[in-house]
Amino acid sequence: MAPVSAETKKAMLLAGLAALANVFALVLLAAAVSALMNNPAKILGISFSPTTGVLLLGTVTVFAFVCRNAAFRTSHLGAFRLEQILRTRLSAHLAEVPLGFVVASGSGTLKKVLLDDVRNLHAFVADSTPFIGRSMAAPAASLVMLMLVDWRLAATSVALLCFGALLMYFVMRDSVSHRQEYAQSQERINAAVIEFVQAMPVVRTFDDGSGSFRRFQEALAGYRLALKKWIAATGVSARLGMLILSPVPTLVAVAGVGTLLLARGSLDFPALIAALLLSTGMADALMPLMWLNNFIKKSQASALRIQEILNVPVLPKTSVPQQPKDASVLFDRVWFRYENRREDALKDVSFIASPGTVTALVGPSGAGKSTVAKLIPRFWDVTAGRIRVGGTDIRDMLPETLMATVSFVFQDTFLFQDSIEANIRMARPEASFEQVVAAAEAARIHDFILTLPDGYQTRAGDRGTRLSGGQRQRITIARAILRDAPVVILDEATAFADPENEEEIIEALANLMRNRTVIVIAHRLATIKDVDQIVVFDQGEVAEIGTHGQLVDQEGVYKRLWRNFETAQQWDLKQGEVRA
Amino acid sequence: MNNDTENNDTGKRLLTLREAYRLALTIADGEAGLLKRSLLLFALSFLAQGCAYLCFYPLLQALFANPPDPRAAGWWLTAMAVLGGVDLCCRWLAHNFDYTGAIVDVTHQLREKLGDRLRRMPLEALSGHRTGDLSATLSLCVDNAVLHMGVVASLILQTLVVPTVVIVGTLWADWRLSLVLVLLFPLAVPIYRWRRRSSHEEKKEVARAYADVESDSIEYIQGLPVLRAVNQVGEKSDRMQASIATLRVAQANGLIEATMPALLMSTLVELGLLTVLALGTYRVLGGTCTVPVLAALLVMISRLSEPLAIFVNVTTVLDVVESSFARIRELLATEDLPVLPAAGQPDRYSITFEQVDFAYKGQESKALAQVSFSLPPNSLTALVGPSGSGKTTVAKLIMRYADPQSGLIRIGNCDVRTLQQETLMSCLSVVFQDVYLFDDTIFNNIRMGRPEASDSEVEAAARAAYCHDFIHQLPQGYQTRVGDIGGSLSGGERQRISIARAILKNAPIVILDEPTASLDTESEVEVQRAIDTLVRNRTVIVIAHRLSTIIKADSILVIADGRLVEQGTHAQLLAQRGRYCQMWEVQQRAKQWSLHKARP
Repeated sequence: MAPVSAETKKAMLLAGLAALANVFALVLLAAAVSALMNNPAKILGISFSPTTGVLLLGTVTVFAFVCRNAAFRTSHLGAFRLEQILRTRLSAHLAEVPLGFVVASGSGTLKKVLLDDVRNLHAFVADSTPFIGRSMAAPAASLVMLMLVDWRLAATSVALLCFGALLMYFVMRDSVSHRQEYAQSQERINAAVIEFVQAMPVVRTFDDGSGSFRRFQEALAGYRLALKKWIAATGVSARLGMLILSPVPTLVAVAGVGTLLLARGSLDFPALIAALLLSTGMADALMPLMWLNNFIKKSQASALRIQEILNVPVLPKTSVPQQPKDASVLFDRVWFRYENRREDALKDVSFIASPGTVTALVGPSGAGKSTVAKLIPRFWDVTAGRIRVGGTDIRDMLPETLMATVSFVFQDTFLFQDSIEANIRMARPEASFEQVVAAAEAARIHDFILTLPDGYQTRAGDRGTRLSGGQRQRITIARAILRDAPVVILDEATAFADPENEEEIIEALANLMRNRTVIVIAHRLATIKDVDQIVVFDQGEVAEIGTHGQLVDQEGVYKRLWRNFETAQQWDLKQGEVRA
Repeated sequence: MNNDTENNDTGKRLLTLREAYRLALTIADGEAGLLKRSLLLFALSFLAQGCAYLCFYPLLQALFANPPDPRAAGWWLTAMAVLGGVDLCCRWLAHNFDYTGAIVDVTHQLREKLGDRLRRMPLEALSGHRTGDLSATLSLCVDNAVLHMGVVASLILQTLVVPTVVIVGTLWADWRLSLVLVLLFPLAVPIYRWRRRSSHEEKKEVARAYADVESDSIEYIQGLPVLRAVNQVGEKSDRMQASIATLRVAQANGLIEATMPALLMSTLVELGLLTVLALGTYRVLGGTCTVPVLAALLVMISRLSEPLAIFVNVTTVLDVVESSFARIRELLATEDLPVLPAAGQPDRYSITFEQVDFAYKGQESKALAQVSFSLPPNSLTALVGPSGSGKTTVAKLIMRYADPQSGLIRIGNCDVRTLQQETLMSCLSVVFQDVYLFDDTIFNNIRMGRPEASDSEVEAAARAAYCHDFIHQLPQGYQTRVGDIGGSLSGGERQRISIARAILKNAPIVILDEPTASLDTESEVEVQRAIDTLVRNRTVIVIAHRLSTIIKADSILVIADGRLVEQGTHAQLLAQRGRYCQMWEVQQRAKQWSLHKARP
C-alpha cells in the first residue's frame, strides 16, 4: 500500500470530511425545523431564517457530494496507479530472481499474483479507504454533536450501544476455536473439490466416477458437521448483533427518554429532533465495518503473496563483469541443493566440455542430468564449487553476456503472440529478414512457413495459428540458430516431441549443433553412441565419464542402462505371450 | 423492477427479482419451504419497522403540542416499541434459515447435486469446462450463492418494503410531501440499474484490458528465459509495460462513467431530505403543513439512508451472488447423454464402428468421416496415424465421450448408447500417458479400480503390474500416502500403479493411449512388462506412435484426416507400400540418427 499512501490518506480524509458534512447537515436540519417554530430555539447556538436553512443545507449537501466524489476519484485513481506500480515492480523483479524460481513456481501461480492478487489490493484501496474514512468520522462526529445537543440523550444511545457490544462479547467469547475448526474444514473441502474436479476426466475413464464421488461426499459430510458447529456457536451472537445494531431500539429509547425530559420541561422540541436524527449514526457506521472485515482479510492475504515474491532474493550481479574467452564449459566440484530439500541434487560434480565437442548427460531419471543443464544458464546458482564458461565463472558475467553465450532448447517450446518472423527475430532484434529466413531454413521450418497464408507474418502463439508440437519446436530451434550462441544446451527429447516430424527436427538440431559446444540431456542411448564424451550420473554424482565404446566395456551404470535400452527397443505388444 | 428487456444488450443480463427468487428456491431445493418462510418473515419484519417509524407522526405531534401531551406520547411510544419488538422477533425467526443448520444442508445438497452432475455429464461437455472454473463453482460459488442468500434477501426486502410503508403512511399525513417521496425514491431503481449496468459496461472494457494483461503476463513469465537473453525485461519489456499502462487508462475511462451513478445513489437520501425540507418549509410557512409532521418525516427519511447506503456498498456482493447463481444454474442445466431403451449386457466384447461421422462441438470439420471397422473379441488392434488424424477420437467415442452425429458404435451386440454409464465403464479400462493419483494411500489408489476388491486382490494386481517391489520399499509400503512422497514417484512407477488399477478392474476391453511415450528407458521396460500382463486375453486397442511396438498386432488401422485409409497386419501394410510403409521407413531412419553425425 505504501506507494500510494498519499492517495489513500487523501481519500480517507475527504471521505471523513464528507461524513462530517453529512452529520452537520442533520444538525442543520433540526435547526431549520426549529426556525419554523413560533419561538425558535437555538441548536448548538445556530439559528437562522427558514430560507437560509434550506440554502445552508443545500450548500452542505453539495459540499459533502463534492468531497465524496473527490474521495472516490482519489482512491480509485490511486488504486489504478498502485496496480501499475506493483505489476511493473513484480515483472522487473521476476526478471532478476533465479529463473529456476520462475520455472518452479509455474506461470499459473505467478500470473495469479501478478493479476489477481494485485487486483485484490486494488479493490482494497479503491473501495475500502473512503469507507474507512467514513466509518471513523461518522460515529465520532455523531457522538460529539449529540453530546453538544443534549448529553442525556447521548448517554442513552451510547448506553444501548454498549449493552449490545457487551452482549455480543459474552456470546462470542468462545467462538475462536470453532472458527479455526471451520477454517480448516473449509480448506479441506476446497482441496476435496479440486481433487474431485481435476480427477474427473481421468476417473471417468476407469469408472463412472463413483469411487471418487464417495471421497468427495465424505469430505462434504465433514464440512457440514464443522459448519453446523460453527453456526450453532456463533448464530446467536451474530443475530443479536444484527438486531441490536438495527435502528429501531435506539430510536425508541431516545424518543422515550426525550418524552420524559420534554414533559419535565428540561428539553425543547428541536433538540429532540436533532437527537433523533443523530442518535443512530453510531450504530449505522458499525454495520458496514463487518463487511469491511472480509475485504481486509482478503487483501492481506494478497499483499502477503505479493510481498513473498518481492522478497525472493535476486541473483547476485557482479560489479566487475567479465567476458568468456572460448566456448568451453567446466564444472568444478559443483554441489547443488534445491531449496527446501534435504538431499543434495548434485554432489561434487566435475567435468569439462571442450569447445566444439558434444557432451551427453546420461542417467536414470532424477540422477541430476537436467539439474546440470539448468545450472549453466543460471536457473539457480551452485551451492558450492563453480561453473566456468570460457574460463570465466558464470557468476562473474553479466546475465546478458551469459545468455548471449549459452542458448538452450528444452522440451517446453514457447512462442509469443506475434508474427513468426518476430518470434524468430526475438533472439537477435537487429537481424535482417534474410538472416531470419536463413535461420528458418536451417531449422527446416522455412518451407512450412511459406505454406501458411501470411507466410512469415502469420501470427503464432496461443491465439494464433495452430502449430503442431514439432513445428513450434523448429521455430524455437530457428530462434536458437539465429542467436548463434557458441554453447548450446539441449534436451534430446525435443527431437521426439512430434513423431511425424522427427526427421525434420533431427536435421534442425543437427544444424543448430554444428560447430558449437553442445551439452545434451540424452534419453535414447542410440543417439549418443558417437558423441565425444558421455557423462553418466547416478544419484547426483558423476558415476562414469567416457565414450560409448569405453563405457559399455566396463560393468557400470552405463552398461546397465544400455542393456535396459536394448530390451525396451525390442518390445512389441502381443497379448498371450508370456515374457521372461 | 421486472423489466426483462432492459438489459438485453449488455450481454450478461441482470437477473430480475422474480428470476432471482425462483433460482433461490431451486437452489434451496429441500429447504425451499424454510426459505420462503424466512422471506415472508423478513417482509413482515420490515412492514413492522415501517409502521414503527410512522408512529413518529402522532408521537411528535403530541410532544409538539403546547403543553406537550405525555399520555398520548406514552401510548404512541408503546405502540412504537411493540412494533419494534415485532420487527426484531420476525427478523430473529427469519434468520432461522441462515443461522441454523438449514443453510448448511442447502450447501451440502447443492454440492452433492453439482458433483453428481459432473460425473454424469458427457465427457465432451466436461472437457469444455476449465477445471479451475469447475472447482470454483463447486467450492466458492456455492458458498457465495447460499451463505449470502439470507443477508442479501433481507437487504433487498428492506430497501423495498420500508420506504413503501413510509410513503403510504405519509399519504395520510401530507399527501403532497408523500408525492415528493414517490417521485424521489423510485429513482433509486433506475439509478441502481444504471450503476450496475455501467459497472458491467466498465467491466467489459476493463475486462478486455485485463485479459490482455493476463495473456501478456503469462507470455512474459513463460518467455522470461528468452526475454532475459535479449534484455527485454522489467521496464524494458515493451508489451508488458504497454498493456499494464493500457489497463490503467481503461480503468480511468471507466471510472468517470461509474462515478456518477454510485454517488447519485448515495446522495439520494440527502437530496430527499433537502427537497422535503424545502417544500415542507414552504408549506409550513403557508400554514398547510405542521412542524411536527415535517420533523417526523425528516427523521424517517434520514432512517432510510442506512439500508440504501449498505445496499450501495454491497452491490459488489450482489454481483458475486448473481454470477455464482448463473454459474451454478449453467452447470445444473447440462444434460446427460441419453440412454436408449433396451439396455442390457453386451454378449461379447467385439467393437464395431459403422459409418461413424463425428465432429467436435463447435467445429465444422469432421474429426471422423465414414469410419467403419470391426474388431473381434480378444484381438489386438493398433491405431496409427499423424497427430490430429482422429485416432484418439476413435478411442474417445468408444468411451462415449460424445455421441457421433451419424453412424453406430457397438460393443458386442449392444449400441453403446443403450448401455448405462456404469455398464459401459465396467467394460473398459483405459491407460493414458498421464496418470492421475489421488492424495490417498497407494493401496486405495489401486483399489479405486474396483472398490469392493479384497486386500489380497489389490496386492495381486500390484504384483502383476510389477509395482509390488517398489511399493514395498516405500516408508509405509502400501499405506504410504501419495501426497507425502509426491514427486519422488517416477513417471514409470505412477504408470505402473495406474496399470495395477486397470488389472484390478479386470475389464474385458483395454484402451492404451501411448502409455510409454513420455517415459525414459529405465522405467519403460517395467511398464512394458506390466502392460504385457494387462492385455492378456482381452480386446485391446492401442494408440501408438512407435510402430516397432505394434508389429505383431492382429490388425493395424491407419487413420489420416479422420478417415480410415489402410487396414491390415504389419506385413500386409508394408507390402502395400502406402501410408503405413512410408511412416515405417521414416521411423527406421530416425532410429539410425546419432548426435555425432550432426557434426561435419
